[in-house]
Amino acid sequence: MNKKLLHKTLRAYLLYSLLILLIAAPVFYYATQKLYLQEADDTLLLHKKEFIEYAAPTMNETNIADWNKFNRNRKINAFDNLSTDTIYTTTYYDTLDAELEPYRELKAAVTIQGKRYAYTGRINLVETQDLIKSIGILFLATISILLIGLFFITKKMSLSLWKPFYKTLQQIESFEIDKTRKPEFTKTEIEEFNRLNTSIEKLIDKNTAIYKTQKEFIENAAHELQTPLAVFQAKIDTLIQRTDVTQEQSEILDSLNDNVSRLNRLNKNLLLLSKMENAVYNDKQTISLTNCIRKNLDFFTEQAKAKHLTIKIDSGEDVEVKSNPILADVLISNLFLNSIKHNTEEGEINISTHNNSLKFSNSGQTQALNSEHLFNRFSKENPSEDGTGLGLSIIKKIANINGWQVSYNYSNNLHSFTISF
Amino acid sequence: MKLLLIEDEKELALSIQKYLTDKDFVCEWVYNKKDAIEKISIYDYDCILLDLMLPDGNGFDILKELKHQNKAEGIIIISAKETLETRIEGFEIGADDYLTKPFHLSELLVRIQALIRRKNFNGNNIVVFNEISIDILSKTVKVNNKLIDITKKEIDLLLYLIGNENRVLSKSAIAEHLSGDMADMLDNHDFVYAHIKNLKKKLYDAGSGDYIKSVYGLGYKWNNE
Repeated sequence: MNKKLLHKTLRAYLLYSLLILLIAAPVFYYATQKLYLQEADDTLLLHKKEFIEYAAPTMNETNIADWNKFNRNRKINAFDNLSTDTIYTTTYYDTLDAELEPYRELKAAVTIQGKRYAYTGRINLVETQDLIKSIGILFLATISILLIGLFFITKKMSLSLWKPFYKTLQQIESFEIDKTRKPEFTKTEIEEFNRLNTSIEKLIDKNTAIYKTQKEFIENAAHELQTPLAVFQAKIDTLIQRTDVTQEQSEILDSLNDNVSRLNRLNKNLLLLSKMENAVYNDKQTISLTNCIRKNLDFFTEQAKAKHLTIKIDSGEDVEVKSNPILADVLISNLFLNSIKHNTEEGEINISTHNNSLKFSNSGQTQALNSEHLFNRFSKENPSEDGTGLGLSIIKKIANINGWQVSYNYSNNLHSFTISF
Repeated sequence: MKLLLIEDEKELALSIQKYLTDKDFVCEWVYNKKDAIEKISIYDYDCILLDLMLPDGNGFDILKELKHQNKAEGIIIISAKETLETRIEGFEIGADDYLTKPFHLSELLVRIQALIRRKNFNGNNIVVFNEISIDILSKTVKVNNKLIDITKKEIDLLLYLIGNENRVLSKSAIAEHLSGDMADMLDNHDFVYAHIKNLKKKLYDAGSGDYIKSVYGLGYKWNNE
């Protein structure tokens, strides 16, 4: 799948941010927790120190019970042979909250009136864990806001940054070499884009020039050929009038005659193609295809007689199209000619106009044609046939000029050409 | 009949001149604009064949000069230019017909004949050949004064054959004549045979002579013998 340039950069940003988040979140969590535990330990040690400094000297054996009664978090118990301070985390069942709660506890030995006791101080850790949670949430929220911001800023930045690029892209997309309109690139502040535009401009100029020369060449060549062709034709016409022509010579003359006609048609069709490329036939009118077919029907029925073809017309609905009338006529004639020329003896031709499309189907060779090269100039399935090889490319060209679609398919032993308007 | 041929291509001009001269036309030939204008100022012609691209100018200038001098000559443009615009321009300035190069000499001949018939038209426009008479306007054909059932296309073919009497007409020339504008695309001469056969039969059935002769594989010829 193709990705947009913008999405690609954003994806990289997003991946990096997520990676950092994944690594940073636990590190941050443990660091916070460790810091808090240290703080709790310090507090416990401070409380012990405070106890030894201030409370212990004023106490005696009798008020130890009272102390224990009023201090929930600091207890004096019988000495249990623990001489060094130990700090650990443990849990107690809290009767008020009715749940187990974690505590940080300090056990130390203290001396009250010369007698040794075990001192236990504890701090509820519940609140700290909530704190860590809050910190975690806050951290996540900050990162998320940062990411979203990054996303939108990048998007906006990229859009404005790549704007000239997209403009250029649009210009190239709408450019067609056979149309006269040249793309116009606006100057940008970015050097790379200016370079891109300049090179595209150069490329287009060069290609347009080549295309124009090529086009003119075809037109001029076709035009220049007409005069010698006229002389050729006239000379043959003169030669066949001779009364002393032998049968063999007359066969040669007949072949010459056919070939000069073919050359002539080839030339005319090339001229037609190049004129279409020069947008000579630009004025459009609304044309009824049914009428156009009917107008040509008599002539082609006559043409079809030699092969004993059956022509069936199914004009379910009239299709009206916008086209140059000459070209519409040429299109219909070429479709007719094509379906007659490639037909078999006693074959059929079916013409139908339906759903804004025109379809010519005809019997013919019993295998599908190679649709890849079918519409190319001088592409012939059978090289020995005497057609010009331009009929289908003329059909295609007319369709292109008017923005129609031409398709070919082969089914039920019928070759069908469909023009969709 | 006097014709003026204005054409800069010598070989083509000679062929046209020969084909027409054999048909009882007097065909004068000039190859540039200057000589053409000189000729038309001095002489009157029945028909002028005009090429548009001349070494010293445009054929349209000659057309304008003719109109300026109020000359009534029939004018047929013979040109390699085949755009609709050029045709329309030609007709607007006053040309009577337009023939695109290359063309068959037989086609040029019937166009000239038709033009002269139209120009000299005086009430009846009838072509007569022995027992056959063709009324161009009402599109009817009589053989021995009896109307025969004939299609427009067959009348066209008949006029073409008679107009080119004693000339060999190739199948492609006949096909192109009968196809009109469609000739540029057609590469099928089979229908010519069918038309000739039908016409031959209709004329024969009406008691006319057998004038249409087949010439080897080349084509046909209207032969009066």
